Amino acid sequence: MSNTKNPISGVSRRGFVQGAGLTFLLGSAGVTSITACSASVPMADPLDVNQWLSIGPDGMIEIVFPSTEMGQSSYSTLPQILAEELDADWDQVRIRQLNVDDRRFGNPLFGGVLYTAGSTGVQAYYEPMRRAGAQARDVLLQIAARELGVDKASLTTEPSAVVGADGTRLSYGDLARLGTDGVTVPDAVSVTLKDRAAFRIIGQDLPRRDVLAKSSGQAEYAIDVDVPGMLHATVLRAPVEDERPVRIDDADARAMPGVIDVVPLPDGVAVVADSLWAALGARGALNVKWSTDSPFRTSNSEDTLAEYSAAAENPDADAAVWAETGDAPNAIANAVQTFSQLYLTDYAYHAQIEPMAAVASVDADGQGAEVWAGTQTQSWTTHTVATTLNIPPENVRLNMKTMGGSFGRRTALVQNYVRDAVLCSKAVGRPVKVTWSREDDVKNGTFRPAAAQKVEAGLTEDGKLDGWYHRVATPTVIGFFNPIRWDAVRPNDVISMRGAESKFYGIKDFRADHVITERHARLAPYRGIGAAYTSFAAEAFMDELAEQAGRDPLDFRLDLVAENPRGRHLLEKVAEMSGWRMRGDRAMGLSFAGYSSSMAAGVAEIEVDDQGTIRVVNFWAAIDAGLIVSPDNSHNQVEGGIIFGISSALSEKIDIEKGEVVQNNFYDYTIARAGEIPPIEIYLADVDAPPVGIGEVGSPMVSGAIANAFYAARGKRLRHMPFTPDRVVQALQT
Amino acid sequence: MTKFTLNGEPVEVTNPREEMLLLVIRDTLKLKGTKYGCGAAQCGACTVHVDGVPMFSCQLSLDMVEGSEVTTIEGLSEDGSHPLQQAWVEEQVPQCGYCQSGQIMRAAALLNDLPNPTREEIASYMSTNLCRCGTYNRIFQAIERAAKEV
Repeated sequence: MSNTKNPISGVSRRGFVQGAGLTFLLGSAGVTSITACSASVPMADPLDVNQWLSIGPDGMIEIVFPSTEMGQSSYSTLPQILAEELDADWDQVRIRQLNVDDRRFGNPLFGGVLYTAGSTGVQAYYEPMRRAGAQARDVLLQIAARELGVDKASLTTEPSAVVGADGTRLSYGDLARLGTDGVTVPDAVSVTLKDRAAFRIIGQDLPRRDVLAKSSGQAEYAIDVDVPGMLHATVLRAPVEDERPVRIDDADARAMPGVIDVVPLPDGVAVVADSLWAALGARGALNVKWSTDSPFRTSNSEDTLAEYSAAAENPDADAAVWAETGDAPNAIANAVQTFSQLYLTDYAYHAQIEPMAAVASVDADGQGAEVWAGTQTQSWTTHTVATTLNIPPENVRLNMKTMGGSFGRRTALVQNYVRDAVLCSKAVGRPVKVTWSREDDVKNGTFRPAAAQKVEAGLTEDGKLDGWYHRVATPTVIGFFNPIRWDAVRPNDVISMRGAESKFYGIKDFRADHVITERHARLAPYRGIGAAYTSFAAEAFMDELAEQAGRDPLDFRLDLVAENPRGRHLLEKVAEMSGWRMRGDRAMGLSFAGYSSSMAAGVAEIEVDDQGTIRVVNFWAAIDAGLIVSPDNSHNQVEGGIIFGISSALSEKIDIEKGEVVQNNFYDYTIARAGEIPPIEIYLADVDAPPVGIGEVGSPMVSGAIANAFYAARGKRLRHMPFTPDRVVQALQT
Repeated sequence: MTKFTLNGEPVEVTNPREEMLLLVIRDTLKLKGTKYGCGAAQCGACTVHVDGVPMFSCQLSLDMVEGSEVTTIEGLSEDGSHPLQQAWVEEQVPQCGYCQSGQIMRAAALLNDLPNPTREEIASYMSTNLCRCGTYNRIFQAIERAAKEV
């Protein structure tokens, strides 16, 4: 662990990457070669992809990983995409974490911000990283053609070697040493890419790079970072959002052994000590008087849900149209039969097992800082540090650490745990690690918003859908966690609304509205974002409609996918896997949802006991996420997503009373345990289409499938998620 | 001064005797493989063996292990060569990985008690340890694989 201004690893060497057009070829070949090739080879356009890799004379290939890793495994998958087109020997690839807010590597699906979210990694970087690899391969072929005096077209590549027609082999390391005189970098847009049939890496199950370290306790997370001279801090946070300390009595805390300083923060008080144990103990001895004028003091989650329900039910409530085709209100008004229902969902907590932690070391002159943190964005972490210290972003030196889960938790424009580490380090003049306890993490969580949803639809004489109108009453999430982005996208909030577009169905007269309600809690993106609740309402209601129409839930849905053959295939496939047509009186429920452009059809089979406990005993899922880059990891991601969905559907709920989060820890915010997990069977469709997301597609379908299975079991509807035993008992008694 | 054995080596530390064992292991003895997750005996990320018994190290004070043998994930094998760790790699179990040291320590204790556990026994025994990424079914498969190989 270094604490220097110019780390020798990491892509923070701006001079290095910008100074020469062909660093990808000659990263280790010395200044002379780089200068020579810069002079003799024309630079590609400014979006030139050659910042992505370097090939050393020893044949080692370093590939930049532009995202951050939280368990989704793009740390392995994204470099594999580049290695495929380069035709690299994967065993000779080193992965380099991008540790700087260098927007040349930005996520194209987030306007070039370095942002790891929304299951976008593979989808966003597939093209640019393939093209970067293909460019490099072409250059290697040109060097080989020059050296051998043959036509480039007579050469082929095998992993990390160019091979001539006569069998001559030149390794990539050798070619990197030979220099690029006379070589032209091909245009990234027109460079030839491999046919899918020629893939050696994409679609294979290469072992993930971080699995051994994560199976032997050697992977280092932010909470594990230790730098010389480092102190530990814990923060006593204001009990309610927007409150601040007005009087701090820290005499007792300061008198405790090991305590170095007590640092007032905008919304809390930090204790800095020589150990975490000492800091935790002294925090308990603080006596802080808080302000009491926050409007959030009156926030109660039950009242909030009642307020949102009224908004969803009120046809005159202001609403932003989220998606519209045809004229749904008119179609429904003129339909033979019309139906509507209200669906409720509570706040939910990310429950990542690593609580918030970050280390900061602010320079003595206050004009720069080194930070070690696990976050979903190099850009906003840099922004957090730079704005906290009022320094230029170039003076922020990041070390992005692998995260102990995140699920949307570490996405905000301003990351308060990073900010606090910076403020503490600045105050005491030494590196400081801020660690949150689990209770801190729950009480100061940023949640999936509570929502009330009214869904209304019409049916034709022969029981077909005739108009669909989905109104989602929930606050803007983006408006809270990233106000800059909200200014750009308002009033379209994909975080609040995703899924409500029901785009995998062809519904002629369709409308989804966002009734943007007042915010009464801290909010954040969450695995599945809006689809975590909009797909519950949509798929539970779809089943209610099918029943009204007197149709099997599968047939009713199949009518709506006539123009979506890939979706139809998933529904038919999951029906086959689960034995849907022969289910008899088994308690099985169907759902068809997905995430962004990825589709998922799922069937849950459940058991219900008289105490109202639902147990999922089987789950089948058919997934279409386009081309699958890493099949085994995709399976792991989908299975994890399904388990996340089961957990949210059955037990996860945050309550707020007088502005304070009621729950404390995993004993009162319960997540699924090993003994509650069913066998899960997953089918990944093999399709010839670009890759889309895999990290969240497993979750949104689950709650609808369980609610529908409950109806099959007991003939009652569950319309308030989570389906806790008290709610289940209540439903059984109605 | 508290003396105990850590991964086969005698150690002496001067930390307060009431300090949480987990923090002594992580911050004083610098073995970071054992994780903090909840501090409340709920998640199992801090699981270590004390005289061969799986314990939540967040629930133990330093004085409680005076004279005991404590084993952490690093003591199971630092290079990942233990059959359970090999099985974890074969089954590609971890996602974020944060809970996996605790899972593996728990699984090691299970196989000490029950060399050939059924799937139900595994699921029940492993229910002390949370995995938010949802790798449970792979954990089961890895334990079954290791059980065959031990």
